[in-house]
Amino acid sequence: MLLRALWLSLIAGAMTTPAQATESIAPQITVGTQEIGLSIGYLLPHRLTEDHTTKQQGVALMPSWMMTVTDPVGDSWYRGQVSLGAEVVYIQFQEPFLTHGVGFTPKIKYTFVAHDRIRPYAEFAGGPFWTDLAGKIPEESSQFNFILTAGFGCSYFFTPKLAVNVGYRFHHISNAGTQYPNLGLNSSMPFGGFLFYF
Amino acid sequence: MDIVAQTTSSHILTVLVLIGAVSGGCNRSIDILPPVPSGTETAAATIASTERVPLILDQARISQNGAPQNPSTELDRRLLGSLQSLNLFSHLSLAETAPPVADEKTIVAHLTIDDAVDSHPGEAAWKGVVIGTSMFLLAPVMELHYDYGTHLTLELERWDGTVKTYRSESSGTARYNLFSASPSMITELKGHVMEAGITDLMHQLVKDATFYNASSAPVTERTIHSVSVKAKRRGPAALSVSISAPVTSR
Repeated sequence: MLLRALWLSLIAGAMTTPAQATESIAPQITVGTQEIGLSIGYLLPHRLTEDHTTKQQGVALMPSWMMTVTDPVGDSWYRGQVSLGAEVVYIQFQEPFLTHGVGFTPKIKYTFVAHDRIRPYAEFAGGPFWTDLAGKIPEESSQFNFILTAGFGCSYFFTPKLAVNVGYRFHHISNAGTQYPNLGLNSSMPFGGFLFYF
Repeated sequence: MDIVAQTTSSHILTVLVLIGAVSGGCNRSIDILPPVPSGTETAAATIASTERVPLILDQARISQNGAPQNPSTELDRRLLGSLQSLNLFSHLSLAETAPPVADEKTIVAHLTIDDAVDSHPGEAAWKGVVIGTSMFLLAPVMELHYDYGTHLTLELERWDGTVKTYRSESSGTARYNLFSASPSMITELKGHVMEAGITDLMHQLVKDATFYNASSAPVTERTIHSVSVKAKRRGPAALSVSISAPVTSR
């Protein structure tokens, strides 16, 4: 259902593009511009040590909200804007057991604005994360954990207010030593989604 | 019974704290320097209608942090509106719609706007990290700033070529919390700062009201600027600029 909605929005955006080709569709993002988005990704495991044995995998759903807090700064390729916001992360682990995880992560993002419609960005987020996968695997013992995320992506604006984005994130899930064992789960996540600005 | 009462009061207290935190996180204010006068009566002047001459406003030149910006018709019209309220001129128009007519007493106005914007990106970034780390609990007490200043230069060229220059500076700061930021807040700030600058210009201009009377100077030939440009050839550069005019005074 979500995928269908995403495809519909992509098609709608593509259909409106030719009509607006003569106008500038570069987004006018200023201080106070908000964005809401929805991204879907797939979690792939990284077993960084010999003690890591779990091959956790699953679909991740990430609705987000952000607020732009600076005008574009810089005069070169690194010209960009800072945004602050938060994201809810839901992961449905399909391997090694069908389990779930949900977290809330404040987030900071730097968007490069040197190009009009194509805008790469880097992001960092972290916050509490609950999962019932813990306790069933040797790496994690407590259901209450923290999730740290760092990644990059690229947005393409179909209209000044609508963009699609693809990117990559690295996830680390552990409980900050509140309970042992606490080896942590590390994952890569390619993702895609859309952003709406207002 | 006591337990129920205590639970209810703690719930009420929690709700009040949450409401206070959310409402505190939505505060914002705008400070302007110099403050805009409450009325425009002091900027009004009286000139006999037979003494009034038309004014033509050239397109304003705008720059932001030193970088040239696209012209703004809205800004041109806003200045025209302020000039209109002075009652110094018979009618006002934009140069693109009504260019100056030779042998007619007209005032030509040139406006230059130099904006300075500082959104404090470094401060916003580190405060953002602090706010995020606190899970937004510190959002109500961490204030963000946005500075905007403008330097206006208005040149009025009389029909005899005499030029008067007026300058004004104004600035303002928007103070806001994360959840109260909005593009309209920045628009309001810029509107207030621009209004303060234009009002200051009008106060200066009205002091020279008699300078713009029709009888203040006879009609003379206006400055003629001619520029001819030819295609580049292998020979010496074929660019010539000639200016012929009576001496202008400032």
